[in-house]
Amino acid sequence: MSTGKDKYFGLPLLPPSFVKEFPPVAKVIEPVCIACDRCVPLCFFDAIIMEQRPLHKFERVAVVIEENCTGCGLCFEGCPVDAIEWIPDKEMPGDKEKART
Amino acid sequence: MAIENLLKTSFLGLDLQSPIMVASGPATHDVNQLLMAEERNVGGVFLKSVCSDKFEHMRSWPRPRYKLLDWDKQIEGRSKTFTLYSYEQGYSGTLDDYWNFIRSGKDRVKVPIVASIFADDVNDWVEMAKKVEESGADAVELDISSPHRPGTMEFDDAFKKTISSVVKGVKIPVLVKLAPSEDLVVHCMKAEEAGASCVTLCNRIRGFDVDIESQRPILHGYYAGVGGPWTKYYTMRYVAEAAQKIKIPISASSGTMTGEDAIKYILLGATTVQILSVILVNGWDSITRIQEEIKEYMKRKDIASLESIRGKALEVMTDPDEIIRWSGESKQGPRNVYRQR
Repeated sequence: MSTGKDKYFGLPLLPPSFVKEFPPVAKVIEPVCIACDRCVPLCFFDAIIMEQRPLHKFERVAVVIEENCTGCGLCFEGCPVDAIEWIPDKEMPGDKEKART
Repeated sequence: MAIENLLKTSFLGLDLQSPIMVASGPATHDVNQLLMAEERNVGGVFLKSVCSDKFEHMRSWPRPRYKLLDWDKQIEGRSKTFTLYSYEQGYSGTLDDYWNFIRSGKDRVKVPIVASIFADDVNDWVEMAKKVEESGADAVELDISSPHRPGTMEFDDAFKKTISSVVKGVKIPVLVKLAPSEDLVVHCMKAEEAGASCVTLCNRIRGFDVDIESQRPILHGYYAGVGGPWTKYYTMRYVAEAAQKIKIPISASSGTMTGEDAIKYILLGATTVQILSVILVNGWDSITRIQEEIKEYMKRKDIASLESIRGKALEVMTDPDEIIRWSGESKQGPRNVYRQR
């Protein structure tokens, strides 16, 4: 079964240059994370995993895998303590004109 | 009948191993996802809709593109009711990418593949449908009701002409995906008249939400497609209405979270049931769960095939004139008596 990184080998969900310039969209604020495991099953793109952090209060934290994150926004709403924030997109030259067409 | 064959469904001349199909969307955007669906014995897949070159900008998606509304964070992170507020747009590759996608999908999976296309000009529709056929898809779905572009919900003569031109242009079955509207049944009848092989009811509806703290619309400030478990109630009504007016099969799509929901659609006359939101929030194994729930029901009720219960609930639908309204009468005696089969 294909999971994780190779799940979307075929086609980037966003223009590659864009991904390079603004990676990743979801970001876990580690001190806030309560290691509740809710975001992991909620992420459809397998972009969140739990990692061991021996020094953390809960000894584990959620971590976003940059290559898999499509910035869809599902995990933000699933987090009970708002430990996931997003890095807003910067406005690119020509964006407004493009949006209007 | 063997248990493995319980779910067998005949649809558009194809033999499906299950009535459950993956709807067009983020779960059918890549070949590997088709494999994940096939592993779970899905009936078929509707590929993510591709836009004509004129709508090239719709191949890029804003970030974030989803917002989960009314999501209950307390139920082990799995809410039963929610709204998926989505501004996801079309397939993110070019048309050529899409034809390759169909081809490699057909090479790798055995389940039927329905490609989905979106355009505005009749010639574009026909040309794209022909390419879909050339690439080997089993059917083509015309997504004439995207919730993201103004005007695309209008079902004027242009769409009727589109459907009939596409039907004339290709040999594979042509499906039409419609959005909820008061005229939906009329649209279904027009689609049937124009030669469509099936209608998909319903596309997501365009919704809107506001954040009262910032006093701004949520997400990107524009209307977005809304879906979720609650959408099944109006879709069931549309499926029931359409099933009584048209002879072509109906593929129900909206808010299916459980096997129970899928059975309801079938009892109302749908041939196949498309799921998506549930896969997105609860994972791919939802397909297996839903299919197991249908099988369990069939065994419990001793049903040999889904064909035998298709549209069964419609047979005993009540006419509004038959509903006893108790105006001023004493509340004794029989209540509403349901029509007997």
